[in-house]
Amino acid sequence: MSEAVSPSSATTRRAVTRINAAFADAGVAGQLHALDIDSGASVSVAATQLTPTSSLHKVCLLVTLYREAAAGRLDRTRQIDIPAGERTPGLAGLAVMRDAVRMSLRDLATLVVAVSDNAAADILWRAVGFDAVNRTMAELGLTDTVAVHDMAAIRDALRAQPNLTDPAAFADISVLNPALTNRSTARQMAELFAAVWRDEVCSGETAEELRALLGLQAWTHRMASGFPFDDVRVSGKTATLPTLRHEAGVIEYPDGGRYAVAVFTRAASTASVLPAADAVIGTAARIAVDALRSP
Amino acid sequence: MDLLAHLRYFRVVAEEQHFGRAATRLRLAQPSLSQRIQRLEREFGVRLFDRGRGGAVLTPAGQLVLAQSEAVLDAADRLRSVVERLQDGEVGTLRAAVPAHLGGAAVAALLTAFQERSPGSELDLRELTTAEQTAELAAGTLDAGIVRHPCLAAGLSFGPMLHQPLGVLLRGDDPLATQPEVDLRALTGRGLAMPPRANSPALHDETLTACARHGFTPTAIRTVEGLEFTRALILSGADLVALIPEPPPEPGTTWRPPTGRPLSWRTSTVWRAGHDGPAVRVFAEAADLALRVHAGMYAAPAERPRATRPETEFAL
Repeated sequence: MSEAVSPSSATTRRAVTRINAAFADAGVAGQLHALDIDSGASVSVAATQLTPTSSLHKVCLLVTLYREAAAGRLDRTRQIDIPAGERTPGLAGLAVMRDAVRMSLRDLATLVVAVSDNAAADILWRAVGFDAVNRTMAELGLTDTVAVHDMAAIRDALRAQPNLTDPAAFADISVLNPALTNRSTARQMAELFAAVWRDEVCSGETAEELRALLGLQAWTHRMASGFPFDDVRVSGKTATLPTLRHEAGVIEYPDGGRYAVAVFTRAASTASVLPAADAVIGTAARIAVDALRSP
Repeated sequence: MDLLAHLRYFRVVAEEQHFGRAATRLRLAQPSLSQRIQRLEREFGVRLFDRGRGGAVLTPAGQLVLAQSEAVLDAADRLRSVVERLQDGEVGTLRAAVPAHLGGAAVAALLTAFQERSPGSELDLRELTTAEQTAELAAGTLDAGIVRHPCLAAGLSFGPMLHQPLGVLLRGDDPLATQPEVDLRALTGRGLAMPPRANSPALHDETLTACARHGFTPTAIRTVEGLEFTRALILSGADLVALIPEPPPEPGTTWRPPTGRPLSWRTSTVWRAGHDGPAVRVFAEAADLALRVHAGMYAAPAERPRATRPETEFAL
């Protein structure tokens, strides 16, 4: 990595103050790590705090799929027969489709990024394996990034707690406790995206395909909402659990500037529709990227 | 030197009047006990025992020291038992807080119930906002509290969620005041008096969202704090209402429940997760009872979201 060219400490301090104010204004507690992929400069807010990752761990899964494929240990075009029953439930993709299909591993990956398809993700978890994913994260130096649950296990834990609008009941939900579920930090999630964009996961055509894949997400209400610019590309992956809203991804400017950003939030409100908490992810990411881009 | 331990050895020797028997009782070697008593004698600069073939007899100075050491050892025992009860939460000071506008009756009932259930302990009660309470709980300067929801929940445990219905505060001569309840849609065109959003952004947004859901989007928000100022504003302008729990009646303004009771404040007790000693539990029970009996709060079943959207990722 080239030597870090950090924005002035006053610029960083101002950005951190504004990010914390934006989190408070949105009624959330938040963590952020924004990283200039080429200079290594960064802006951080509580970025090493362990946090449940939920669907963000799908990125770790896909990174491992492509790394294994690049190493020749796995064929990402392998076709999988997916019968109609026995799919992990979800709200989009194969999880809500009714009939049997046959699909390649990489097309399942496409559904996982595009609409956070839980059924497709769990088929990939079985094909790739927890051990391979956790080993890959360790090889990339992301030792706080650990998977223990597939999407079905997370869904079951949520179903076991009948009272998801009562904050008093939340203390008992295992998938909201980073010690008991898939976990990482804002810093390591940003570093994971930076590794993909620096060709440290795989290189050449495979890496191009992985980056293109990570740009397919349909949702724009979080990170992308902070960058309403026609010439700026936003690639990312969201994660959502009761009170938790996260996104990690990469922001690319036409001048070549590229920034890996992870924003994790936990809302005071238990409402499942909370536009201010979604939007502050974009707001915070933009404040951080503006600070990294300031002269 | 551990003075208390040495005084205890001294007392046993005085009771037994014999180093050998005292050493057996204390399960010490006799030379070791002798050394300890000599050390105490050096410390005080007086001879405590006349040592003879028949045993150990207290000197006049030793008798004076024995009388005083009884008092010291009794005080030490009392101190130990107080500390133990303090650790058990039986006595001591519980640092607690309540939010504004809980009502004098509820706070008085809480104080009384706490004292009755936990005699000998002190309740250091302050009035703090929900945000101040969660910050102080995290910092360890507050043991328990009563908070309004939504509230940032990381690291906290909560008692039962209690609801307090909100109603519409109107001018007494408002046409809507003639009805027993107010359809929120009938407030269209009015402004809404609310506390500053910064006090609790999540509650502020939740209230406006619930109003919008039931057909009322205020034309303007008038920031106001305190019941007196709220009443004054409503009395002075016809186009303003407030949404508050039922206040004590006062001429000039009228409080009416909204149709369907769609708005409530949610309140619960709170403490640091894993720090619910007996005093905290007594406070939480006393507070829960006081809020139900004296603040008109009630438990209501929490509802699951009925229209989860694809980006929520999990069908709840």
